[in-house]
Amino acid sequence: MKKRLYLELENCIGCRSCLAACTQCGGHEERNRNYVYDVNPLVNRQTMPLMCLHCENPACARSCPAQAIQIHETGAVLSALVEKCIGCQNCTIACPYGIPKFDQEQNLMYKCDLCIDRTKDGIPPMCASVCPSNTLQWLTDEEIENKKKQFNLDNGKWVTSMPYLEGETNVKVNLPGILQGITKLF
Amino acid sequence: MQAKAAVNQKSGNILNNAFASHFAKSMFLSVTALAILSFIGTRMFTHVDLNLYGYMVGTIVFIGGFFYRFIAWGERPPTKLILKKGLKLLFRKSTPKTSVEHLATYNFIWNRGIYRWTQHVLIGWGCILSCFVTFPLVFGWMYFTMDDNGYYNIIAMGMKVMTVPADGIIANLSYNALNITAVMVIAGVCMALYRRLKNMQARAEQKFLYDFMPLYMLLLVSITGLALTFMNIFLHGAGQPAMSLIHQWSVIITLIYLPFGKLAHIPFRPMSILARNYREHYAEQGMKECKVCGDQFVSAEQSKDVVDVLCVNDIEFKAKEGHHLAEMCLPCRRKYRIAQFSGFPTHEVKVKEANQNAKG
Ligand code: HEM
Ligand code: SF4
Ligand code: SF4
Repeated sequence: MKKRLYLELENCIGCRSCLAACTQCGGHEERNRNYVYDVNPLVNRQTMPLMCLHCENPACARSCPAQAIQIHETGAVLSALVEKCIGCQNCTIACPYGIPKFDQEQNLMYKCDLCIDRTKDGIPPMCASVCPSNTLQWLTDEEIENKKKQFNLDNGKWVTSMPYLEGETNVKVNLPGILQGITKLF
Repeated sequence: MQAKAAVNQKSGNILNNAFASHFAKSMFLSVTALAILSFIGTRMFTHVDLNLYGYMVGTIVFIGGFFYRFIAWGERPPTKLILKKGLKLLFRKSTPKTSVEHLATYNFIWNRGIYRWTQHVLIGWGCILSCFVTFPLVFGWMYFTMDDNGYYNIIAMGMKVMTVPADGIIANLSYNALNITAVMVIAGVCMALYRRLKNMQARAEQKFLYDFMPLYMLLLVSITGLALTFMNIFLHGAGQPAMSLIHQWSVIITLIYLPFGKLAHIPFRPMSILARNYREHYAEQGMKECKVCGDQFVSAEQSKDVVDVLCVNDIEFKAKEGHHLAEMCLPCRRKYRIAQFSGFPTHEVKVKEANQNAKG
């Protein structure tokens, strides 16, 4: 059963477990590839994670002159192939969300690969495995559909990617609480 | 003056029109060049080594595949851009240094790990040195003659360049050149295979045809090559003709595979120098300032080029504020996205992004 990464952004408590878990993924060489932001840092403690959304038409790959960014059959947009990336950094400029990171010393781009060593076998990615607040989940399309019903948002405010993102993505994003006007409890 | 330019342009067109495609033209020119070089090198085909005929066919098929791939690849908008602008900037003061670091000493692979660097130096230099020896022999650009007095003549392009004692160091090095490089390649390939069995990232992404096939082919080439030497020295040439065929076959398959698999990085990699020059040159020309925080994060030229390339791909990221998303620096672009989710303009709060490295 194909599952995908699903984000309920405002559940985030800012613990940064996902960043720590990312460093431990096989081949990530102890460097994390995702982000956690304070939404309004001088006023409250609300945080939100941001990771590669694995676009269906990825701008990073389209802008790469070396064809170093491959798209896996699961839809995951992989990190640069180590022997192909020529270090031009086009991808970092092209990504609408500012995701790819670049290592000057290694002359190599690296980005979230959705822990492809795990997700290709249906195991959730590291970040979703550790998230204690259900911000990052690993769900089937059916389960995501049920969420949609559960939140009872017939006001057009359900966000699974469009139109709040720049294009269709394999990762689905949602903000049930904020959209329903529910105040955060923690 | 003007008339002359017009004539030049016209004759240029005739040359281009004579061929059905870039591909046909490049193919014709390189096969002609090879033929001429071989003609001169072999003193009008008087020194052709017919044992090496298979390699000649293999090389020509390889050139066909190579141009096919390279031209298709060069037509992609981002590739075309870097090739075009990079070639114009080929002669910068830093070019020699960049070239050596990128193509010969592989400093950047060293920074990825000493193991990976050692592995690549062994494979890469083993192959490059082998080619320096093999190709001139195959096309007759270089051959050896023996004088009666125990001296060896090394003849390149039909001219005697060196006479060395047949049992001296240089002579021994040149008889054994291919054995030495074969051992280098075998060691490097074994290191690569070991890494592919152990490293999790490699294990997740590798495919047989893309990652293992080139390693096995390099291994086959080197082992059969060494076997030839072994049979010569210890078996008095027994089994040599058969092994020679296997060896030839493996080299030809490797050559034909080269433009389509992982080894395609060999002819494509020099583009990293073009990319470096492109970045250095246009960074000096003027930097792009982030539309939100004003940080200079990329050259104005590259920013514009990426926007254009995306446009060709029908991707247009317009922010509500009117600028293109690529005109924001990376942290601002990420905060801008958070702002789209939450409705609060995070990117306008002048606070540096906090703790993005999971270190407590
Ligand atoms: C023109 C200069 C060359 C450059 C700049 C270059 C660059 C690279 C890079 C960056 C990698 C990835 C290494 C890593 O991160 O672990 C690589 C891998 C590799 N290169 Fe090269 N290369 C060059 C020439 C060659 C040559 C001549 C060969 C010989 C056939 C070769 C064979 C390989 C192989 C087999 C791998 C894959 C190793 C593996 O399976 O992990 N390269 N190359
Ligand atoms: S979010 Fe950015 S890095 Fe991820 S696939 Fe899309 S363009 Fe590429
Ligand atoms: S930095 Fe590497 S992966 Fe990114 S666009 Fe350039 S070549 Fe491609």
